[in-house]
Amino acid sequence: MGLRLEPRLAPSARWQAVSVAVALLAALAVSALLLESAGTDVGVAFAAILDGAFGGLRTTAKTLAKATPMILTGLAITVAFRAKVWNIGAEGQLFAGAMASYWLYTLTGPALGMALLPLLFAAGFVGGGLYGGLAGWLRSAFRVNEVLTTVMLNYVILYLLSFLLVGPWRDQSSFYQQSERIDRAAWLPDLWAPGKLHLGFLVAILAAVAIHVVMNRSWFGYEVKAVGLNARAARFKGINVERTAVAVMVLSGGLAGLAGMIQVFGVNHRLESDISLGFGFTGIIIAVLAMLRPGWVVFVAILFGGFENGGIKMQVATGAPSAIVSAIEAITLLFFLTAAALTRFRIVWRST
Amino acid sequence: MQPFLKVDQVTKRFHKVVANDRVSFDVMPGEIHCLLGENGAGKSTIAECIYGFYKPDEGTITVQGNPAGLTSPRDAIARGIGMVHQHFVLVSSMTVLENIVIGTDAARPILDLKAAAARIREIGRRYDVDIDLEARIWQLPVGQQQWVEILKALFQGARLLIMDEPTAVLTPQEARRLFQIFREMTADGLSVILISHKFDDVMQSDRVTVLRRAKVIGTVNTRETTKEALTNMMVGRSVELRVKRDEHPRGAPVLEVRDLRAANDFGTEKLSGIDLTVHRGEIVGIAGVAGNGQGELFEALIGARKTRGGSIRLDGADITGRSPAEIQRMGMGYIPDDRFADGLVGDYDIQSNLILGHHRREPFARRGLLQFRAIRDFARKAIEELEIKAPSETTRTRSLSGGNAQKVIVAREFAQATKVILANQPSRGLDVGVIEYMHERLLEKRRNDFGILLASEELDELLGLADRIVVIFKGRILGEFAAGTADIERIGLLMAGQETAGKAEEIS
Ligand SMILES: Nc1ncnc2c1ncn2[C@@H]1O[C@H](COP(=O)(O)OP(=O)(O)OP(=O)(O)O)[C@@H](O)[C@H]1O
Ligand SMILES: [Mg+2]
Repeated sequence: MGLRLEPRLAPSARWQAVSVAVALLAALAVSALLLESAGTDVGVAFAAILDGAFGGLRTTAKTLAKATPMILTGLAITVAFRAKVWNIGAEGQLFAGAMASYWLYTLTGPALGMALLPLLFAAGFVGGGLYGGLAGWLRSAFRVNEVLTTVMLNYVILYLLSFLLVGPWRDQSSFYQQSERIDRAAWLPDLWAPGKLHLGFLVAILAAVAIHVVMNRSWFGYEVKAVGLNARAARFKGINVERTAVAVMVLSGGLAGLAGMIQVFGVNHRLESDISLGFGFTGIIIAVLAMLRPGWVVFVAILFGGFENGGIKMQVATGAPSAIVSAIEAITLLFFLTAAALTRFRIVWRST
Repeated sequence: MQPFLKVDQVTKRFHKVVANDRVSFDVMPGEIHCLLGENGAGKSTIAECIYGFYKPDEGTITVQGNPAGLTSPRDAIARGIGMVHQHFVLVSSMTVLENIVIGTDAARPILDLKAAAARIREIGRRYDVDIDLEARIWQLPVGQQQWVEILKALFQGARLLIMDEPTAVLTPQEARRLFQIFREMTADGLSVILISHKFDDVMQSDRVTVLRRAKVIGTVNTRETTKEALTNMMVGRSVELRVKRDEHPRGAPVLEVRDLRAANDFGTEKLSGIDLTVHRGEIVGIAGVAGNGQGELFEALIGARKTRGGSIRLDGADITGRSPAEIQRMGMGYIPDDRFADGLVGDYDIQSNLILGHHRREPFARRGLLQFRAIRDFARKAIEELEIKAPSETTRTRSLSGGNAQKVIVAREFAQATKVILANQPSRGLDVGVIEYMHERLLEKRRNDFGILLASEELDELLGLADRIVVIFKGRILGEFAAGTADIERIGLLMAGQETAGKAEEIS
């Protein structure tokens, strides 16, 4: 007797929908068991999660704000993975973008007001892009495995950050490792103030639309996907595989860098290591769950954002330990990843 | 006598495509049974049904009188059915012995390599397959890698061996050896299902079942039929097995290769000073057993492989060291031998593959954006003109049969090239109908004053098409023959590396 995985010839849309629904129900069932065993009222807990995530305009806006950096890092990973360039360094590129934009701010100060914003966005993109591009260049020029370089560059940038935060960029008045608070004039304006939904969300949505167009409608996206699917044939037909890999890493790093800039100027309002809660890594999970489709990345990232906020609300409402929230999150994730795998494979059960 | 295998009214569909339509035939013990049919006729599909990889939608498969109900290759092996795929599934860093034993019951519950080795040697002796069990797969020539697959099937107790295009990658000598092994097996009561497009193979079988458009046209005794009759059954019309090559004056040199040197990916020298000239309106044939540098030569010519010395001129311009993009822009087209690895992006649809290389240009792209209407129109025209059999232009090329995949490449390269066409083993694995078509198109390009460089292992193909034939052996050109004066015996000797044979015959 045994289980075996067989590749599906062509995953149907209906099967995909069914498997997602099943994953959701299964995750709910297991989470319910867990809550039940912790002595929590399951109904109340689920209602709190839903309420905390999407109950009302204000909470929804908060959820969208939470989702913003994850949309961008999800897109960053999507672009890279499409070319089979394994960028594990979106976290580092996010910080590079944050630092580049903060550096620009230290040079100009808040005097420019709103006119500074486009420059800050550009700096975030360029900072992340250069940092990603570095790994891409090492891969293309010296065949250095990008998984290794991007992971190591994550550490490099964090150490550089903490050096700057105890040194030149340190807020002298504070005990923590953090920069001075950014002047209100340079904050990202709110789209909807009560929900703290800032301009960054709009930028993330625009980025998703742009990436969708680039990947599916432009010759550049066509080349990126061709390189990912069959680099040999792509090379034979004149596509510069090395240059494409560098370009992909620049674009990927740039998107992650935007996330960093947005966190600094839209959420934390200062440069500190808390600007990312591992968004660079969550981006990998989001991109994979979204099957590397930009539209789905937005959707999945918003669900993730909702879960964060809903979890907090549930904790408050039921007094369940925070470990349970993390456990539920992980369980849901596992079921969804399984569902994603099952749309491409099927389990065959047989007795021998 | 009871047939070993009986296939009864089997139907298999992939979505809307009917790959097998009520297919019936049987295989007797001790028989070599050939499946013949055009590309896309459904041969591989019925083979995979018998092997339990696909589940038939309708119909039954009976093994030794018992309904098989096969749902996986494991079931098939348990009932004595083994299969050797065209692309071998061996682990190249492991030894022959390890490859034979992994995944079999010999590895369970405790792996007894010694006992296994003894049994494998016994099988080898019985069927006259002599192979070093300790050799690593990558060290073996393709022909012997195939023996490993065969030994593995026999080791698992196969009584019926399915071989999908086994000779496509073999030298003529290796193919001859393979049939000797088949004969030893059939003398022992084992059976072979053989899928092949080569009539040399087909005529050595006992019976032939011909498939056309998913249906069985008939089963005939090989001794009572002819090549022509089989071709007729297969294509539904008579096919010119020999092409008509009219006289055509050759023009100025368009591709000049001087003292070209290059290595393979592992740094081993594969081209040791190639000199070669192709003129406008001329087809130059490269005769030689695959692996003697043809692949490296073509890759160097299109700019995808670094050269270590020598020069390449295209229409007078030095293109040595230029990029594939530049060289293509200057008018070179390439039809590679491994269609799915080198020629196509398998997960892209037909239309996307047809524009590969011209995807940045008008009318396919404008201001950076792909123009899907223009792309679709172009694809529809190509599909109609070349009679590519596919549901639509958005069909993924991976699901196309070999012949139709080749047509996609031919359509693309013929549309893009303006001066020179390179073709490496272009008819490998293709049915006679498609080969005839491709030969006609190559001759048409010759009439249009293209220079054509054609490598093939099929001497008949070269003799029929080429104006001149050169022989390649271990990265060197050993001799050159004009079409009229070419001596098959001599070329054959040169292909085997017997250098002295052709010198006297050389022309300039
Ligand atoms: N996995 C698949 N999904 C969809 N269609 C398929 C699949 N496999 C085969 N087909 C289609 O089924 C038909 C039969 O294909 P099959 O591979 O059996 O042909 P064949 O006779 O082996 O051809 P060839 O000589 O080129 O190998 C073709 O039209 C092919 O496109
Ligand atoms: Mg086939």
